Amino acid sequence: MRQSAGPTLERTDEADTYYLNMGPQHPSMHGVLRLLLKLRGEEIVTCEPVIGYAHRAHEKMAENRNYIMFIPNTSRVDYLSGMIYNIAFCQAIEKLCSIEVPERAEVIRIIACELNRIQSHLLWFGTFLLDLGGITPFLYCFDDREEILDILDRVTGSRLTYAYGRFGGVTMDVDQDFLVRTLAFVKRIRSRFPMYEKLVGENVIFRERCEGVGVITPEVARQYGVSGPTLRASGIGYDVRRAEPYGGYDRFDFEIPTRTAGDCMARFEVRMAEMEQSCRIIEQAVAAMPEGPIGPKKLVQRLKPPEGMFYFAVESARGHFGQYILSDGSNTPLKLKMRTPSFSNLSAMETVLEGTMVADTIAIVGSIDIVMPEIDR
Amino acid sequence: MTLAARTVHGFHTLLTGLGVTFKQIFKRNVTLQYPHEKPELSKAYRSLIKLKRFDELDSHDCVACMQCVKICPSACITIEGGKVDGIKRKRATLFEVDFALCSVCGLCIDVCPTDTLEYSRLYDEAGYERAWTYDLLAEFREEEPAFRERQRVQEEQEAAEKEAKRLAAEQAKAAKEAQASKPPDAPEGTT
Repeated sequence: MRQSAGPTLERTDEADTYYLNMGPQHPSMHGVLRLLLKLRGEEIVTCEPVIGYAHRAHEKMAENRNYIMFIPNTSRVDYLSGMIYNIAFCQAIEKLCSIEVPERAEVIRIIACELNRIQSHLLWFGTFLLDLGGITPFLYCFDDREEILDILDRVTGSRLTYAYGRFGGVTMDVDQDFLVRTLAFVKRIRSRFPMYEKLVGENVIFRERCEGVGVITPEVARQYGVSGPTLRASGIGYDVRRAEPYGGYDRFDFEIPTRTAGDCMARFEVRMAEMEQSCRIIEQAVAAMPEGPIGPKKLVQRLKPPEGMFYFAVESARGHFGQYILSDGSNTPLKLKMRTPSFSNLSAMETVLEGTMVADTIAIVGSIDIVMPEIDR
Repeated sequence: MTLAARTVHGFHTLLTGLGVTFKQIFKRNVTLQYPHEKPELSKAYRSLIKLKRFDELDSHDCVACMQCVKICPSACITIEGGKVDGIKRKRATLFEVDFALCSVCGLCIDVCPTDTLEYSRLYDEAGYERAWTYDLLAEFREEEPAFRERQRVQEEQEAAEKEAKRLAAEQAKAAKEAQASKPPDAPEGTT
């Protein structure tokens, strides 16, 4: 992967090949990703993702402020699973500084994170279909997604860039109405899955464009550190929630859906199955919601973390999201490195896209669900 | 599958999809025509911060402790103030928020020791300039002299009460001491 804007167009050494820039301002490209494609006819000879157009130096910002002041940044790293990232940062700091989290706060966090995961998958579903030329499903899933945003808006006050987590808890307690609406939503989304299946999953055009396209073999996935639904579609059932349970996930019963085909269709199926599993977690969490405090009474802002290196990983909607904190014992991290799943998933595209057709590029790149701000940070 | 069977199956799936969209025609509209209709704001709605008016003070209670200024990740709060003439309670004389920089994280609200900050219900913000500085003290400015006068009177009253209490306590103590220093009527230990 290239990190700066390279040559726009250059003559290739081979007579029958040429370069094509896809992005950063391509209408169907996700965000500001630029793919430098070397083509022979319509076949991709090499593909080079060029990144850095959405770089905002979040990691550097973390070095210049207290831990607590980094909280609003976390949601902006990946705006589609902002809640998961936000909570993940708080969980990392809690583990680093051994801060106790009340059980109620933990359960609230899990419900919020799983709602966020469904929301992210729904958005992926809509935009992926947009990439393939189907506009209708986008409108249906945004209807469902809107319901999640409303539910989360009622407790967090924001729709996308939540700053909901605090060290040792959450900012606002949930009420009975939140739980009722969450359960109603779970019921609603369950009734919508057959409709999605009819509208999209069975659609012959969709299947023709997805089946057998963009196969990521388990070997390639391992080499590039692909994670999340993209990895599980290749037959490797790795999920951080199961591999290294955090934040109370070990209390809940859920499955890790996997497929073996590794193509776009498998990734679609894994995500749809994952939404159902998230629904299951939410139902169990609502049923097990304990009473009690939702965090420390006073804002925890002066931290004394131990010196040294520290790593904490969670499963975001896109995969393994890790935070590597280098602490010198002060209230400011010496270095905060984020391992974002989209970055590794995109890296694999160099290999996967080789030998495929230009028309499939959008389907393949769309199917791995990349979020550019997360890659550039 | 033969080509014919595949074609028939393909058409079938397309028609199923069309059936789904057709049914949707008869369902309720979910979009909100924004400038004409406005959504109901959630109770946790986050927006520009404002100063809460306390009933017992009939004013805000910003003591210019600068906690929010220190914790603000965007450095968008400007506060001046502290001791003002005549009263003991510290007061903010300037409280400005540059909303263009604010990321509405709510850390200032969480950290406020007097709980005088809360979210306003400011909803649609659009304009032609980049400056978005709000003067949060604007609504309190006119009544500030009256508040200080009230506060001064109250503080004086409190001080007087305290003084009276102190005097009373002193007198009581003196009386008790006098009582104790008097020779007891009955020898100790007989009761």
